[in-house]
Amino acid sequence: MNVIVNESPVEIAENSTVEQLLNHLDKPLKGCALAVNQSIISRSKWSEYKLREGDQISLFQAIAGG
Amino acid sequence: MLSDAEMLRYSRHLLLEDVGELGQKDLKDGKVLIIGMGGLGSPAAMYLAGAGVGSLVLSDFDCLEVSNLQRQIGYQTGDIGADKVELMKHRLEMINPEIRVRSINVEMDEAQLLMELMMVNLVLDCTDNMDSRQMINAACVKAKVPLIVGAAIRLEGQLMFFDNRQADSACYHCLFPNSEEQTLNCSNSGVLGPVVGTIGTMQALEAIKHIVGLPSGVKNRLKLFDGKTLDWQTFVINKDPNCTVCGQNR
Repeated sequence: MNVIVNESPVEIAENSTVEQLLNHLDKPLKGCALAVNQSIISRSKWSEYKLREGDQISLFQAIAGG
Repeated sequence: MLSDAEMLRYSRHLLLEDVGELGQKDLKDGKVLIIGMGGLGSPAAMYLAGAGVGSLVLSDFDCLEVSNLQRQIGYQTGDIGADKVELMKHRLEMINPEIRVRSINVEMDEAQLLMELMMVNLVLDCTDNMDSRQMINAACVKAKVPLIVGAAIRLEGQLMFFDNRQADSACYHCLFPNSEEQTLNCSNSGVLGPVVGTIGTMQALEAIKHIVGLPSGVKNRLKLFDGKTLDWQTFVINKDPNCTVCGQNR
């Protein structure tokens, strides 16, 4: 199935979890937060949250500056 | 009752249906702790002073450096080397002598912060590092004090509001649980002054709205600001029941 990650299409296996998507992307995830369709998914839910066709995933880093 | 001098000073607030004399009295009774007097804290503190927030507590332990002046608009070149909180306290008293300003010129530990939280009804996190952000969040959750968080780097900004008086409020730790991870700050990544100023200004706007009782658009929300496109993205932050700071098993 296809999902959108930060505006780019990504093809992943049916019923993939957030964690499986992140493993597939092979991106450094330090200090990152993740949202599916504009709703933040807590890190403690990444291993169980199942993605669906067309989901819009936003990955962004914590910023600390001020 | 507002004095004649206050009626004149705040006349542009009194014209607003959303503020008016009652809102101005709420602002006068407002007690806000602003932690960090850098690029976020400069505009936030100056706007709240101008607006007549009656009691402002400023916290920072840095001296002004020349590299701060590109974005920290409360200071001047001749101030280099002086303590930021003392400079800003003086600046705010010049802007508005009707308010009380107190400065805390040390790095607060949790015990001192919890004591300070007993004396305010709102906190603005304007700090520049993750350890401080996590400590401030945990203390505000424990003390049930509302917290407005701002952050900026490069051309990006983040804004959040956690109303810790409400049991269903999420917290900063629900969003960013791992504080030991390397995060971006102004000294390792750079930042544009108007970007960090925009976020600090938004923190002041949300603070004023909170104090006068207007609904907020950022409670349990994360707003991401893109300084390149000027787009704002909004995300819902769900309370994490497993959060070690605000969750059920804390």
